[in-house]
Amino acid sequence: MQSALSPAAAEAAHIYHLWRVFLCVMVAIYVLVAIVLFIAILRNRNRATDETGMELIAEPKQASERRATHVVSTLVIVTVLILFALLIADFFTGNAIYATPDPNALSIKITGHQWWWEVEYQDPQPSEVMTTANEIHVPVGKPVKLELQSTDVIHSFWVPNINGKKDLVPGHPTTTWFTGNRAGEFRGQCAEYCGEQHAHMRMVFVAQSRDAFGDWLKAQKKSAAEPRTESQRRGREVFLAAQCVMCHTIQGTNARARLGPDLTHIGSRIMIGAGEFPNTRGYLAGWISNASALKPGARMPPNQLSSDDLNALLDYLESLK
Amino acid sequence: MNTAVIDVSKLPPHVEDHTSPIWWGNTMLLFIETTMFALLVGSYFYLRMNFTNWPPVRSDVGLYQTDPDLGFATANLIVLIASCIPMYIVDRACLRLDLRVVRLGMAIMVLIGLVTIALRFFEFRGLKFRWDDNAYAAILWTILGMHLLHLITGTAENLLMAAWVWLKGLDTQHARDVRVGAVYWYWIAAIWIPLYAIVYFGPHWL
Amino acid sequence: MKVSHQAIPTLAAPDEAARKAMQSLWTRPPGLIGWLCSTNHKDIGRRYIVTAFIFFGLAGLLAAAMRIQLAFPENHFLSPDLYNQFFTVHGTTMMFLFAVPIMEGIGLYLVPLMVGTRNVAFPRLNAFGYFAYLAGGLLLWGGFLVNAGADAGWFAYVPLSGPQFSPGHRVDIWADMITLTEISALVGAVEIIATVLKQRAPGMSLNRIPVFVWAEVVTAFMIIFAMPAVMVVTAYLAMDRLANVNTHFFNPAEGGDALLYQHLFWFFGHPEVYIIFLPATGFVSTIIETFSGRRIFGYTAIVLSLIATAFIGFGLWVHHMFATPLPLLGRTFFSASSMMIAIPSGIQIFCWITTLWTGRPRMQVPLLFVCGFILVFVLGGLTGVMLASVPLDLQMHDTYFVVAHFHYVLIGGAVFPLFAAFYYWFPKWTGRMLNESLGKWNVLTLFVGFNLTFFPMHILGLHGMPRRVYTYLAETGWGNLNLLATIGAGVIAVSVVLFIINVLVSLRRGAVADANPWLAPTLEWAVTSPPPAYNFYHPPSVADGQPLWHAPEQRPVVVGLSTEKREVLNTTIIDAVPEHRYELATDSIWPLLLGIVVGLTMTFVIFTAWAIPAGMFFSLVVLYAWFWRGNEPKFIVEAAKPKVEMSQPEAALAAQT
Repeated sequence: MQSALSPAAAEAAHIYHLWRVFLCVMVAIYVLVAIVLFIAILRNRNRATDETGMELIAEPKQASERRATHVVSTLVIVTVLILFALLIADFFTGNAIYATPDPNALSIKITGHQWWWEVEYQDPQPSEVMTTANEIHVPVGKPVKLELQSTDVIHSFWVPNINGKKDLVPGHPTTTWFTGNRAGEFRGQCAEYCGEQHAHMRMVFVAQSRDAFGDWLKAQKKSAAEPRTESQRRGREVFLAAQCVMCHTIQGTNARARLGPDLTHIGSRIMIGAGEFPNTRGYLAGWISNASALKPGARMPPNQLSSDDLNALLDYLESLK
Repeated sequence: MNTAVIDVSKLPPHVEDHTSPIWWGNTMLLFIETTMFALLVGSYFYLRMNFTNWPPVRSDVGLYQTDPDLGFATANLIVLIASCIPMYIVDRACLRLDLRVVRLGMAIMVLIGLVTIALRFFEFRGLKFRWDDNAYAAILWTILGMHLLHLITGTAENLLMAAWVWLKGLDTQHARDVRVGAVYWYWIAAIWIPLYAIVYFGPHWL
Repeated sequence: MKVSHQAIPTLAAPDEAARKAMQSLWTRPPGLIGWLCSTNHKDIGRRYIVTAFIFFGLAGLLAAAMRIQLAFPENHFLSPDLYNQFFTVHGTTMMFLFAVPIMEGIGLYLVPLMVGTRNVAFPRLNAFGYFAYLAGGLLLWGGFLVNAGADAGWFAYVPLSGPQFSPGHRVDIWADMITLTEISALVGAVEIIATVLKQRAPGMSLNRIPVFVWAEVVTAFMIIFAMPAVMVVTAYLAMDRLANVNTHFFNPAEGGDALLYQHLFWFFGHPEVYIIFLPATGFVSTIIETFSGRRIFGYTAIVLSLIATAFIGFGLWVHHMFATPLPLLGRTFFSASSMMIAIPSGIQIFCWITTLWTGRPRMQVPLLFVCGFILVFVLGGLTGVMLASVPLDLQMHDTYFVVAHFHYVLIGGAVFPLFAAFYYWFPKWTGRMLNESLGKWNVLTLFVGFNLTFFPMHILGLHGMPRRVYTYLAETGWGNLNLLATIGAGVIAVSVVLFIINVLVSLRRGAVADANPWLAPTLEWAVTSPPPAYNFYHPPSVADGQPLWHAPEQRPVVVGLSTEKREVLNTTIIDAVPEHRYELATDSIWPLLLGIVVGLTMTFVIFTAWAIPAGMFFSLVVLYAWFWRGNEPKFIVEAAKPKVEMSQPEAALAAQT
């Protein structure tokens, strides 16, 4: 689910193959060096302790010194050649993973925040742009372009099954590319220390078939579902009256703030708290009541709601699929 | 028992030139400081990549009026380069242990040093930005400021040596120290030449 | 050729009275004040070694706490804030307060002895260097103990470490501590270079300088060109953070650049690891030579490899930045140079193994640690070549794979040789041998514990575990390997404890060591253990690189240096021909006072920029007093005069056979 050794995209696959080449070469070299070291210390060792005297080779023989020089020189040349070979393999892999820009690629803009991921699916039509948080879905087989930026400190976007990581440096927006080649659910995690909750800045990454992805994207682009039960209606009122609207957006309501994650479809997210806790009623309740208890230092303030209000709010949020 | 000896009692107890460890210690310090200035220059050019206008534009003056003023800066450059002459005269006088010349020369060097420090303050006033205005100002003030630090320590060192030769006379050890101080002073002047060029002419010529 | 223990002689000693007079001339004044005034390189070297080892222990305790926190998923042993301070202070202490100072400290102790002189070139400056280092250590740990421990990582990237995202003074303490430790490192470097250039024994031409001394000289040059970068970058950071200064070096909104920080930091940071590693290779060359019973194979190749490593080491730094937005061409260049540096390291390893192969190795504890070094460091070097590849690095960067890599090269490449060096030179420093059996347990527990702790981390990194996380979810499956690593850390702790026990017990009851218990070839083994204050009564001359193995009793010795003031011989740079004499300063209190002034300046600058001009003023005052000779306290001047009356020392010497 979160491993560089289990590639689910073309890029990660190239890197994995390169890894196997390097691993074989390095293991072979290491074993060789260890064996030679053991032979060197055992073959001619002086078993005397310091009491009985030692053996001094005051003038090593010319012939054996010359022979040793030849051996060492050969080893040095072999080392250089091996490094060259590795460099060439490295070069080919590098070429393979630095994709040429594809105008048909799916374009996603990712903004790093302390400590969550803002995800924006791009579209030539501004009204079709879709914002979500901490969860990314992509279609298998289609190139995806990620535009990466940060508004606060340096973060690093890393989904090991997909590709190597790329840093999000304030002042230096950048892009990375990948093409998924099998479906599955994976995890990503921020890989550049970004403050107190760097450890809890994760994301859910889902690669799915084109059809499934199309359905998901269409659903995500819709505005928030209208409340259908009384409790859900009450929940929406609680949301709009509490401090939630200071930071969160729910498309279709008056809540339009962008300080925190977009909650329009929170009901369908797999995890909450930036890929940290399962999206269950219990965790959601705990998160709303006191996010800092679950994730110390999280910027979301605690909310003291009556249990009725809280239950209604949970009903409403769960309905936002 | 060791039979042979190497008798060094006839060797000089002090030397005044580059064979002295003090000279080498000073040279190592100059390597360190030169590296530091090279890094400041590197930072200058690196930050420049983030700007379309360098120096940046100010809203209250015209586009090309944000360059640092040349007047006091050029005067200071000339004073610094010219100051190497009395320094060199003192330097050679030390070899002869010529107390009179060294005393006079060191007094002159202290005065010159104070002049360069004063001129440097006017140079700061000729900058069109405060140090906290932007990244250009930050690196500019740092380059001028670090060199000012050397003007101060160089002058302080000259003052110390001047005090010694006036109060205690000139022996070989302190003649050596004055000569090593002279090397430092030559460096302070020499390093300013490329820094001056980059700070005052860099934006339009480089 | 079998040589008996007694047959390797030490250099000729004159009569008792002369020796006593020389000893009192070169010994510091008595009492606490005398101890604080000492300018003896052995006193100062010992201070560095003991202080650095204490910091090693403290940083190790932090690591133990971190390992306990990570042993189980979602553990609550350390809060996130505390964990973040712990990993920052652990890294900062190990890199700045342990690794570099101990390598320099051992160098400052041994280099004058190995080149045949009596002290370093600038004794008072040397004393000051230690006090600046101590001030830095006290600043960092003082801050840590009042909950102001640095918490932005040991390299403190901006903008996280900038004024907006790290309010308070934690990062200021970190930045200002670095200035102090870097001043100390630069001082040590200047000492080593000046001493080795000008004060070598007659006949010790460049091709006869011991490999360890070469390693220290090359390291000193690296320090000179690398340290300014970290001083510049922490100065920029401090200026950005200071309330009344508020510059914008790293603020993108005003044209500043977060990547400028990384370039400057790593321009220092990469040479830094070679600054730590090269002296360790010097230990290894020395110990392999002694315990193989033959001169080191490939002396020229090894020296050239040291120099090549130093040069290439300055051309690697961008490999720490492969994941940042940088042009592709740049990354390719640094990838190639990062692989290339394996070549000089490889050459050294080949030469070492060849020396062992063609010698008669004695498997005593120092050599056992060296074998541990080879087995651990080579693995780390190989993962380093992996990390040099950009595609691989993009998966491994900032993960536990890198944590594994750098601990393999740092603990393997520096700590194993360091323990070897301790066992080897402990007799010279203290006059006692460390216990050999306990030493063998020491090696074994360190080797096993180390691999148990850090090998699993390679796998954890590839399985997605990033660095600097105070905990992890159970769903990741990282729990088992983390638990294994924690157990390994416990074994390492046992090893360190065994070492401490060995030291404490051996200091009292270890076998007494004579001048040359290991039958080693270099000059430090020509004098008593521990050496007298003046090192050599008659400084030696040499005719090859293994002086004590080639009839040292027949070599001419130097006579004619003053017995009334502290004098050494200066020789020419290339061929070490005697050139002139050189008087060294006596003991002095001014280095301590300057250390206090500089320490206080860097402490107050945390709060206000006015500390700089104030600090400069007081520093100048102290420096004036320092240089104004003839005003040393009376008890220092008297202590420096030889107490025993001598008659015609030259004549007495000439009268000897």
